[in-house]
Amino acid sequence: MALDMATAQKTILDFLEGKAKSKTKFYFNDFCDLFPDEKSRDVKKVLTELVKGEKIVYWSSGSTTMYGLKGLGKHADGEE
Amino acid sequence: MAFISSGYNPDKPMEGRISDIGPRHYTDFLPPVIAKNYGKWAYHEILEPGVLMHKAESGDEVYTVRVGSTRLITVGLIQEICDIADKHCGGHVRWTTRNNIEFMVDSKAKVAPLKADLAARKFAGGSAKFPIGGTGASVPNIVHTQGWVHCHTPATDASGPVKVIMDELFHEFQTMELPAPLRLALACCLNMCGACHCSDLAVVGIHRKPPQIDHEVLENICEIPLAVSACPTAAIRPSKTEFEGKEKKTVAIKEDRCMFCGNCYTMCAALPLADSEGDGCAIMVGGKVSNRISNPKFSKVVVAYVPNEPPRWPTLVKTVRQIVDAYKKGANKYERLGDWAERIGWERFFDVTGLQFTKHLIDDFRDPAYYTWRQTTNFKW
Amino acid sequence: MAKHQTPMLDELTKGPWPSFVDDIKAEAARRAANKDGVEYQIPVDVCDDLLGILELAYKDKETHWKHGGIVGVFGYGGGVIGRYCDVPQQFPGVAHFHTVRLNQPGGKFYTTEYLRDIMKIWDMRGSGLTNMHGSTGDIVLLGTFTEQLEEIFYEMTHKLNTDLGGSGSNLRTPAECMGMSRCEYACYDTMALCYALTNEYQDELHRPAFPYKFKFKFDGCPNGCVAALARSDLSFVGTWKGAIKVDQKAVAAYVAGELKPNAGAHAGRDWGKFDIMKEVVNLCPTQCMSYDGKTLSINDKECYRCMHCINTMPVALKVGDEKGLCMLAGAKAPILDGAQMSSLLVPFLPVEEPFDEIKEVVENIWEWWMEEGKNRERLGETLKRLGFGKILEVTGITPDARHVQHPRENPYIFWSAEEVGGWDRDIKEYRKRHAR
Repeated sequence: MALDMATAQKTILDFLEGKAKSKTKFYFNDFCDLFPDEKSRDVKKVLTELVKGEKIVYWSSGSTTMYGLKGLGKHADGEE
Repeated sequence: MAFISSGYNPDKPMEGRISDIGPRHYTDFLPPVIAKNYGKWAYHEILEPGVLMHKAESGDEVYTVRVGSTRLITVGLIQEICDIADKHCGGHVRWTTRNNIEFMVDSKAKVAPLKADLAARKFAGGSAKFPIGGTGASVPNIVHTQGWVHCHTPATDASGPVKVIMDELFHEFQTMELPAPLRLALACCLNMCGACHCSDLAVVGIHRKPPQIDHEVLENICEIPLAVSACPTAAIRPSKTEFEGKEKKTVAIKEDRCMFCGNCYTMCAALPLADSEGDGCAIMVGGKVSNRISNPKFSKVVVAYVPNEPPRWPTLVKTVRQIVDAYKKGANKYERLGDWAERIGWERFFDVTGLQFTKHLIDDFRDPAYYTWRQTTNFKW
Repeated sequence: MAKHQTPMLDELTKGPWPSFVDDIKAEAARRAANKDGVEYQIPVDVCDDLLGILELAYKDKETHWKHGGIVGVFGYGGGVIGRYCDVPQQFPGVAHFHTVRLNQPGGKFYTTEYLRDIMKIWDMRGSGLTNMHGSTGDIVLLGTFTEQLEEIFYEMTHKLNTDLGGSGSNLRTPAECMGMSRCEYACYDTMALCYALTNEYQDELHRPAFPYKFKFKFDGCPNGCVAALARSDLSFVGTWKGAIKVDQKAVAAYVAGELKPNAGAHAGRDWGKFDIMKEVVNLCPTQCMSYDGKTLSINDKECYRCMHCINTMPVALKVGDEKGLCMLAGAKAPILDGAQMSSLLVPFLPVEEPFDEIKEVVENIWEWWMEEGKNRERLGETLKRLGFGKILEVTGITPDARHVQHPRENPYIFWSAEEVGGWDRDIKEYRKRHAR
């Protein structure tokens, strides 16, 4: 099944906005769960587009990486 | 300190952007004698500690002078390395996997002046800038991590302990008197960014106290679900507490489950783990990666805890020396430390090193533990 | 006059091994003097403050760094590690202390021109401190402020044609031994393969979409100088088929003491006269060698290529002519379920450009692991959880006795319905033979 880029982007953004109150960072696998019939490589393409479009950003613990909406997340002042 | 732009435009980050180009191609950097004889090397000799000669099928020779280096190294010192490489090596230099620097020349006549130049360079306090050695049956340079210089979860420093251990083993670095190479590694916490789990001798920083909880700020600076899911042993759960009369969302930690990895602190700065009294080092020995004679094997913990004693970690250094001396004395030629310990038996290893065996050295972590207990009557008194 | 007193660190200027403290002090002085008139983009006294905060850590016996989640530059999910100090008022020069990982050139060979160019950029835009190199292999530029990250990336790509390395849940910067560039043991061109795969998989390196980190390491022979077997999710280790090549004259020269055993690696101690029986023939783990006083014979069919005899007599013995590599999968450090070394997956592959056979194995593994791997699960852990048979299945590799150290010690085999002629039977037929 070919993934429609615009619809898929909206699915992801809706998911992130819906969760924003309790949690702002998600693993790649969490997005794959939104598209159970798709190859993970195709889901990655959607996320990459959203990063390029400045809608979502990466967050890294150094060893692992997560994704979240731009501008959200908690941290100490002056840090990001 | 006026800001100088590289040309990058933050309003249009994709404009003129170059990405996904990877590293430069290695053929841009090979010394001519290396490029010419690539894939056509016949054999090598170690002419003296730290000096290698590789002979090509063409008859060409390349002479390499290997020097120890600190992994943490400054622009100024790298510029000095470039000066040396320009003067002696036609503008080429390389690093080894173990943080050594290799200066290569294409004739034997160039070796002596290069060596003299390297040996003459000292730091202000008198230490060598470029000690020659680390070849053959020696203690080569230590591979290590960041420690207190840069890491957020270290249980010890890295550069400092490496410095004092290499000061102690300097003779073994500059000579080839050991039964086989003795490869050292140091990781500043049990995440082991260095390959400690397969080294002849490894120092591993360990925390021994669970993180503290900064209830006052936790809900403001952390996402609780992320802190909870960061824990590999599921020791953290969401919780509430009263702080100065106000109810605060926070976490609770099942402390006896903590394995001291620091993942939670990575996710949440309100869960600090560092503790001057709790932190220190474990010593592991007997690992190897080479397939030579025996199969690769993991290192074993032989000292459960040595306290942090900055600036020069005397107990750690003394213990390392004890192990190295016993190995040097007891092992056969070509025998790596782990092969020696297995041949004489680990019970004998504790005899001859004088290390004390304690209950903490008996594995109790998950399934593999059973396979380390002794299911035989074959043991030595 | 130093900005901060560092009595504890000063103890580390003593002793013969290179003192990183003296090096950093010299760097602090160099920056302060600024002979070249560099327009420093981060505080000039960053090195002083680094020494200050390190002295404080030595005093407290506790680190003063916090993690920051910043990941890289725009569009990249790795290559930068965010770091902040927890005492910024005291040490403003290291308030931010992010690192930038640059993808090192193959074999860690440099021209001074290239190295000076990198240093020039880093001198102006960073702390002047580096790691040569990080554990994974990158050039690590240690310590800069957030606003410099894009600038550094722009200059590295535009001026030096150099990209960032990996961090986070992506393909980490691959690394190799120097291989054929200067080593007679190399069974394949490690630098060529490492470079090819690094470039083929740039998207996997820069845009994380794996369950966790993933490492490639390339060792040219079973000696394993980059520790591929111990540290990489996919380990590429050189090997060969067929006979070790023997030069009997050179063997005689070793026996006669004209050539030094092991290339002279043991020359620092008097181990006595070289004894080929004791030091080579009897140490051979497969006992496949013999020596009759004149000729060294090797029963090559029984040799498992551990390298000992070749290492000991490098002039006389050479690896066989049919060269290639073994692929092993699943190594990792101990967290969480204990350390793992890589397990043999492909016993032999020839290594020929464009390396399609190798890429096919890699991609099949990734596809499977991306579907099945749990968050923060290394390939080796997925293998343990789902069984080694699974990776053979997804890569289409035929199970072989070489895949195990020994066969299983229990008969609890999960047979499939197809293997046993189906599970559906007619109970009535059974009852015809057996009363209730």
